Amino acid sequence: MIRNSTLIAKLAVAATLLGTTAAVAQDIKVGALPPFTGPFASIGQVIKVALDMRAAEINAAGGIMGRKVVLVYEDGESNPATATQRAEKLFQVDKVDFLTGTVHSGLTLAVGQVAERNNRLLATTVSFSNAITGDRCSPNVFRVNPSAGMQASALALWAADFKKGAKVYYLGPDYEMGRSTIAEFKKEAEKLGATTAGEVYAPLGAKDYSQFFGQMRAARPDVLYMSTGGTDSVRLLSQLKEYGLTNMKLIGNSAAVTSDNLDAMGNAAEGFITSGNYSTLIDTPANKVFAEKFKAAAKIEANLYAADTYTVLDFYKAAVEKAGSVDADKVRAAMRGLAWDGVAGKKVMRAGDHQAIQDMYALELKGKTYHPLAKVDGEKAAGPDLCTKW
Amino acid sequence: MADDGSVTTSAPRSAGATAAVRAYAQERIEWRALNIASIVFFAGAVAFGVAYGLKGDTFYLRLATEALIFGAVALSVDILLGFAGLLSLGQALYFGLGAYAGALVLKQVSESFWLVMGVSILVGVLSGLIGGLIAIRARGVYFALITYGLAQIVAKVIYNTRELGASDGITGIPIVNVSFGFWQTKADNPAGFFFVVLAVIAIIYLGLLYLSGTPFGRALSGVRINENRMPFLGYRPDRLKLAAFVLASTIASIAGGLYPMLRGFVSPELMYFDASTNAIVATMIGGTGTLIGPLYGSVILVFLKSMIGTITTHQIMVIGALFMIVVIFFPRGLLGYLREIVVARSRTKDGGGP
Repeated sequence: MIRNSTLIAKLAVAATLLGTTAAVAQDIKVGALPPFTGPFASIGQVIKVALDMRAAEINAAGGIMGRKVVLVYEDGESNPATATQRAEKLFQVDKVDFLTGTVHSGLTLAVGQVAERNNRLLATTVSFSNAITGDRCSPNVFRVNPSAGMQASALALWAADFKKGAKVYYLGPDYEMGRSTIAEFKKEAEKLGATTAGEVYAPLGAKDYSQFFGQMRAARPDVLYMSTGGTDSVRLLSQLKEYGLTNMKLIGNSAAVTSDNLDAMGNAAEGFITSGNYSTLIDTPANKVFAEKFKAAAKIEANLYAADTYTVLDFYKAAVEKAGSVDADKVRAAMRGLAWDGVAGKKVMRAGDHQAIQDMYALELKGKTYHPLAKVDGEKAAGPDLCTKW
Repeated sequence: MADDGSVTTSAPRSAGATAAVRAYAQERIEWRALNIASIVFFAGAVAFGVAYGLKGDTFYLRLATEALIFGAVALSVDILLGFAGLLSLGQALYFGLGAYAGALVLKQVSESFWLVMGVSILVGVLSGLIGGLIAIRARGVYFALITYGLAQIVAKVIYNTRELGASDGITGIPIVNVSFGFWQTKADNPAGFFFVVLAVIAIIYLGLLYLSGTPFGRALSGVRINENRMPFLGYRPDRLKLAAFVLASTIASIAGGLYPMLRGFVSPELMYFDASTNAIVATMIGGTGTLIGPLYGSVILVFLKSMIGTITTHQIMVIGALFMIVVIFFPRGLLGYLREIVVARSRTKDGGGP
């Protein structure tokens, strides 16, 4: 009797083992390299919650072509040197079919090259450097989120609507990112008739911005464009309010005022305008469900990173099902020109540069949330395809 | 002995001579132990390369190649710390300069392995001369802080220079052909490039091993042990330190030149403080002043980081704890510990020490 039961137990174990190996062979492995440590760790957590959430939902609904989606995480650390090595591990050892979750733009470019050399595909949902789908585009890299250029042109289109020939004053931190963000917006705004009232660069981490307020007041701008971030934005916006410089519209890039620094500035950022592709208030049925579910899982409000990362699995699923395979070349062909439903609206992957085209919004900060003001057509915001690699 | 006229001069002299002979004998045993460790290291590396090459592996071979490259940076830390007694907190600067120089040469001048090696040596010598002239004027903690500052400044400048790719770094570095005349391989051939890097590291290691036994190497140790005494022996400590600094920066820069061939990109992060501290940690884990220790340390560190990183996201804490354990229980590092065991054993064999 005992012998019988052990035999049965052994058989049962053998059967489960066989079952699991069979199931493993059929799993679709998706690798993710979000930053779990370093300056972008909070974004890394958002990425993990969004991917876990969507993978569970897809698996509950039968997976991709009946195959289960398995996520394999490695810490990208916001360091390209570490991330390239870990990407190679994901491709070579874990044998992932697809990679996502990269944040730091330089890291996305370096890891994209690893993907290219391993003949696998990468899609970023956060990195916004124009180079990724511009002059340094790669046949193996796709971008689901809007590029920096799309953000700038959407905001410039809003500014042109706000006042014809608006006088814009620019203020940013004195380093490459601060300057290039301003240059980007300025180019787009001036194309649409805006004029420059002045341009100043403060040292990164400046304590006092009031020294610039005299010339700013004298220039009488209609709009102040800022490319500051983090605590710099807190000081700048608080001081502008203290000095009563409130008769101009405050606008800036999407990193200027975020949930990270919003609490520190009281209501000094009230009415601040930026551009983006996401707000929890964009009225689609999918968004309503998503925003609630995400908040319950992550204990924070859903943001653009959450929405784009959540939808990257839908993008991949649609492409694999269209290709009928996980083979990189077939999936790439399927991804080109693919249209799918994102959380807050339709996205179309442009075949020429692998940039997802999507409607953009001018977003106004009211209370603690960004409210969509005006929709900007995705095609218009994206501008021409500048990639010449294929 | 000079102030004690009553003692005959011959007795202490012979005692001193015996002590010197004993010290010399002990040092020979120590180096013999390290030489065995280095033979084990290089033989093990060759066996690993052959075995994994035949297996057709990619990831572990390339990870090992990276460990060797970072091992050279640790070697350069060891020249400064283990021989001249100088703690550099910015050794990644010279690694990064070599890497950027290599990347630019490969992208814009010529896809030549040998040209990159030549240019990275040149960059290492020049930047080492400049950095050294600034840093060695200070001693101790001030020296360390200056090396740290120099690395931070240059990394920030590159971070903000659009022509060098700014924060995005430089990608799209072509895959080079490495030709030795009789044999050639490509940088994307995992086993082939592993052996190329192994050969470069072996040459650097053997060169340093030779140097450590020359009067120059001895004089450097003299600077570490008692810098103030060196002028009385006719040496100029500043010149010795500058020579060590330039040697170290050149080796770090050569390692830098190899990096973009392996990974295909460079970015300002290569020069960050993290990269410098990794080299110091590898040196300390392996054993300061042992030359082969830093190579062992680098292999251990790179593989541990990769493995722990997969298991937990708190890998920095694990590495930190490991470092503390080594510093507390094996202050001379793993190879330093091995050396102590060998020496202790040889003493008991001789029938007891002093």
